[in-house]
Amino acid sequence: MRQNFLKSALLAFAATAAFSGAAAAAGTIKVGVAAALTGGAAQYGAAIRNGFELAASEINAGGGINGNKIELVVADEQSKKEEVINVFKRLIFQDKVIMIFGPTLSNSAQASNPVAQAAKTVVFGTSNTADGITAIGDYVFRNSVTEADVLPETIRVAVKNSGIKKVAVFYGNDDVFTKSGYDNFKKALEDLKMPVTTTETFAKGDVDFKAQLTKIKASGADAVVLSALIAEGAPIMVQARQIGLNVPFIGGNGMNSVKIFDLAKGASDNLYVGSPWSASNATPENTKFIKAYTAKYGNAPDQFAAQAYDALHIAAQALKNVKMTGDIGAERAALRNALPDVKWTGATGAFQFRRAHDKAGKPAGFDAQQTPIVSVTKGSVFVIIK
Amino acid sequence: MMEALSTFWVIHSNLILSLGTNALLALSIWLTLSCGMLAMANAAFMGIGAYTSAILTMQFGWPFPAVILAGMLAPMLAALIIGLPTLRLSGVYLAMATLAFGEVVRIVIINTELLTGGIGGIAGIPTSTEWWHMLLAVVCALFVLWRMRRSKVGRAFEAIREDETAAGLMGINVGANKMLAFILGAALAGLAGTLNAHLTFMIDPKEFGFDRGVEILTMAIFGGIGSLVGPVLGSAIFTLLPTVLSPLADFRLMVNGVVLVLIVLFLPNGIWDPARFKQWFGRKQGART
Repeated sequence: MRQNFLKSALLAFAATAAFSGAAAAAGTIKVGVAAALTGGAAQYGAAIRNGFELAASEINAGGGINGNKIELVVADEQSKKEEVINVFKRLIFQDKVIMIFGPTLSNSAQASNPVAQAAKTVVFGTSNTADGITAIGDYVFRNSVTEADVLPETIRVAVKNSGIKKVAVFYGNDDVFTKSGYDNFKKALEDLKMPVTTTETFAKGDVDFKAQLTKIKASGADAVVLSALIAEGAPIMVQARQIGLNVPFIGGNGMNSVKIFDLAKGASDNLYVGSPWSASNATPENTKFIKAYTAKYGNAPDQFAAQAYDALHIAAQALKNVKMTGDIGAERAALRNALPDVKWTGATGAFQFRRAHDKAGKPAGFDAQQTPIVSVTKGSVFVIIK
Repeated sequence: MMEALSTFWVIHSNLILSLGTNALLALSIWLTLSCGMLAMANAAFMGIGAYTSAILTMQFGWPFPAVILAGMLAPMLAALIIGLPTLRLSGVYLAMATLAFGEVVRIVIINTELLTGGIGGIAGIPTSTEWWHMLLAVVCALFVLWRMRRSKVGRAFEAIREDETAAGLMGINVGANKMLAFILGAALAGLAGTLNAHLTFMIDPKEFGFDRGVEILTMAIFGGIGSLVGPVLGSAIFTLLPTVLSPLADFRLMVNGVVLVLIVLFLPNGIWDPARFKQWFGRKQGART
């Protein structure tokens, strides 16, 4: 008698467990996020994770995707190439996610994205700006606007706004961001037929830039095109003003940070930067994003959070058209086919995909098609120039 | 069962092959350590091997066996050239000179952009490294080193490590033996670099800097340099620890550090320390007086 009771209780328990397990599986869509939460790029990774979590909670609160909730599987890729490959394999083959967002750095993407491409799983970068990432294959997407798109626009606006006739170029040659920024600046200046008076370089960790700045001043340039990270860029601006070099600076992505107002206090004016996102951009979508982000995390969002936030909303639009059959291979393929047609207006403004081509000229993955916002520093804010 | 195994392999193949890369690296520094030299150029030799092989594969289309050979020969040549002046140095001065060499290699790679792709590295390297390449490399390396330890050369290394002057007086050619250890170490590091480059799709100069050099040294010291088991064990633990601890999320690095500190405190000769094992477990037999 007693045994019978136990047996039926167990059976009931098993039935409930099985039922609830099945229900949970049918009601969630697993989405992988590979971000650098520790290591050298951790500051970006944390903002990126926050952006995704905010977007996921918004989508789930609004009823999910055709009733299915989004479940983020966040993994730390440590911005190490071995680890990034391990994480991608775990997400694809073990967690069986429908797609992967990430990784944080472009160099990591060169190691991990071939894994996703071979497994026919969409990989969607929100912060990879280097050339050639989307050339890896037709499952590679990104909504991060590349510097090749941002920098020409920055120069164009600065030239129009400040009447610049000739420029000097100053860049860090031992860092992957500043070096690729320089390459794109150089190309943009050639395309605009802008005369370059002199090209100077510095290295990471330098503190005195007066020798190069004096040369730049003597060359008679109307503006300095600066590809630097904020750690070197801020003292460069301070020292330029100290030696009486008062021309505008045109900065790359590395200079686009509110830290410039602290680090170059009193010398931060007249710096032009281009970016897909700006805290001063007062569209309804952006205002809503900034408000929600600040309420949830207690600090102001940055560009990386904004792009991650938009990316999940973009993917959600495509996921609405994907039939959840339980066959992960078919779902992944359907998502790949639905994604290129998505158009979305989010925190970073109007967005759509643009087909990228590989070295041989064959169509490959998808880049972002988005107009960057150019702004100039004045006092302690970025003022958007239309 | 077979399916479960193949799924396991698909997920973890990269991690398992990293075990091989790191074992080769730990053995490469073990060679110089066993000869009493603290040379820190192994990350640079790995980089030279990786870049040589990647360039030969990508730009010249060499077959993989030839690429592996070249990936070992190039760092050996570099070791010969820098070994001549630097191996006269001892102790911490040798470490400084070899560290400086590593920095030179990194900066040369960054600035020869046409060949090496500069700071962005080389991407899209075909994944020619199969599991058996790695297994064969580790087994061959272990076999050669194991035989060497029992040979005249191995005993000469040991004598030099214990007392360089005494070894010299006993007729051992100290300079030549040190050079041999240095060059063989470079070859192993180059092999690791070559196999690794053809496994992870891309290489960049950051990977072969100071951090990697310290990591290689830590793996060997952590495992223990008294025998060949130590470096292999140390590198395996070092490779697996971050993955095993990954459920700890943000605390992972902390626990990782604590484990290292505990090992260094309580097992100063590394994990594989047979003498200490005997001391711990052999007391009952009265093995120690």
